[in-house]
Amino acid sequence: MSMTPIALAASTSAPASSDTLPRGASGFPSPADDYREAPLDLHHHLVRRPASTFFMRLEGDDHHHAGLYHGDLLVIDRAISPRPGHWLVAVIDGELSVLRLERRGPQLYLAPSRPGLATLPFEDNDDRLWGVICYAIHALPATGEEPAIPSCSR
Amino acid sequence: MFALIDCNNFYAACERLFEPRLEGVPVGVLSNNDGCVIARSEEFKALDIPMGIPTHKIDPALRRRVVLKSSNYTLYGDLSARVQQVLARQVPTLEPYSIDECFLDLRGLQEDWHALGARLVHSVVREVGLPVSIGIAPTRTLAKLANRQAKAQSTRPQVCVWAHADAPELSTHLNRLSPRDVWGVGERLHARLAGMGVLTAAALRETPDSELRRRFSVVLARTASELNGHPCLSMNDLETPRRSILCSRSFGRPLRDHAALAGALRHHCQRAGEKLRRDAMQASAIGVYLRTNPYHAGTFRHACEWTALPFPSADTQQLTRAAQRLLDQIWQPAAYQKLGIMLAELTPRQQSQTTLFEGAEPARREALMEAWDAIRARYGRQALTLGPQPADAPWQMNSAYRSACYTTRWDELPRARAR
Repeated sequence: MSMTPIALAASTSAPASSDTLPRGASGFPSPADDYREAPLDLHHHLVRRPASTFFMRLEGDDHHHAGLYHGDLLVIDRAISPRPGHWLVAVIDGELSVLRLERRGPQLYLAPSRPGLATLPFEDNDDRLWGVICYAIHALPATGEEPAIPSCSR
Repeated sequence: MFALIDCNNFYAACERLFEPRLEGVPVGVLSNNDGCVIARSEEFKALDIPMGIPTHKIDPALRRRVVLKSSNYTLYGDLSARVQQVLARQVPTLEPYSIDECFLDLRGLQEDWHALGARLVHSVVREVGLPVSIGIAPTRTLAKLANRQAKAQSTRPQVCVWAHADAPELSTHLNRLSPRDVWGVGERLHARLAGMGVLTAAALRETPDSELRRRFSVVLARTASELNGHPCLSMNDLETPRRSILCSRSFGRPLRDHAALAGALRHHCQRAGEKLRRDAMQASAIGVYLRTNPYHAGTFRHACEWTALPFPSADTQQLTRAAQRLLDQIWQPAAYQKLGIMLAELTPRQQSQTTLFEGAEPARREALMEAWDAIRARYGRQALTLGPQPADAPWQMNSAYRSACYTTRWDELPRARAR
């Protein structure tokens, strides 16, 4: 399970200072002190490189089949080099757009999901690339936990 | 060696990053309260709309061809901090100089300077998405000139390296350059230099040190020495007078304590406020940065945040209040070596006419600050200092064309359309 490395990483960080920890009524340190680890920080887990990581909202349901839904919170890391199979934010017609990068033979393409849109050849150092999407986050339905999403952009 | 990295048309570039349809479009950015144009894209400059023009005076025909944006210091500050983080990872020491420029101290590195410059430029373009240019030279003064030269290049990456002060291309450049364009030589000095026949930067660096000290000042002698490749000016010696103010200091020993840092912060705000009032200027935005010692063991921390002031101000209390909030935001437990504050978008005080709808420094605050300066001048700087001030009074700014705070607010994230 992928939790192991996080737990290891947390245990190698500096131990919490004992005077910040609760002591038993007798004044003895809690025996649990030695096993204390920093809580898991989801932001830290999802954002490896804060300087190059940006968040966006996905608009439109065309990538529904791939598990990307309208309103998803996209985590984009510009430092990642795009590879076939990656989902990208690219600038198409002056608009931030979400497409999949596909290889067909030797050529790479930006592949749209919406019917009727053409695939676009993608070059090395293509200046339409904005960034590689590394996570799409959405609440599962009917939990009432998803943040309200304003219906249209500003 | 030193480098100066500068973001090209920084505010316009920040707007374009999240609104790519603005690429190639003339973009102008307006001051706090949308009063006048404070930043322009290349296309906007090409229309000959001058810097500082009041918004309502832009020719209506031109007005329809351009896009105007209210200044969004929250966004600019966040992107500025990201640029610094990307650079700080790659060089030993980074000193922010203003919201869109920083010096890198490259002393001790043995590098192919062109390759290093190209690498730094590429990393910022790729990771943050903002175009930058870099000048590398033996002193800060020369690095600043090299940066300007880099910016004039039409090829990418924009890198200009003068590895030695006697490089022939540098001599050619200085022969054509007016002393006025050298860091720290203002109009007034320029006129006096012309009077004694010093008409070029090359002539300035050939003038004997003793003569400059006798007829001008130690600082100008140092500037000449910097032009000759001898580093002797720190960032605090000289500032770009009309654009920004920087007050920073390294601590004698590392400071961990939030309260001690807040004390240093108040001290810097007092100095910055005095500098502003001395030059009859006011600032529209303030930034705070903190860093640990890069040469010590442990995690290197470098943090920097900016915010807009509710209205242009030269009021020490106003500055301190905003700076204090920034410090609270960026402070985390660490042993800090340096703290600094920066002021941006300086405008002359007389330009700020108080109107009913536009925020401006109330006259009695100005009078208070005059009294403040007078007391400190007469009885010494320790006689009157500023204690901590509570944060209060949200003041809504007039920013009709502000872009979203794309990187700092959940409800203002950029939208990416599924295709």
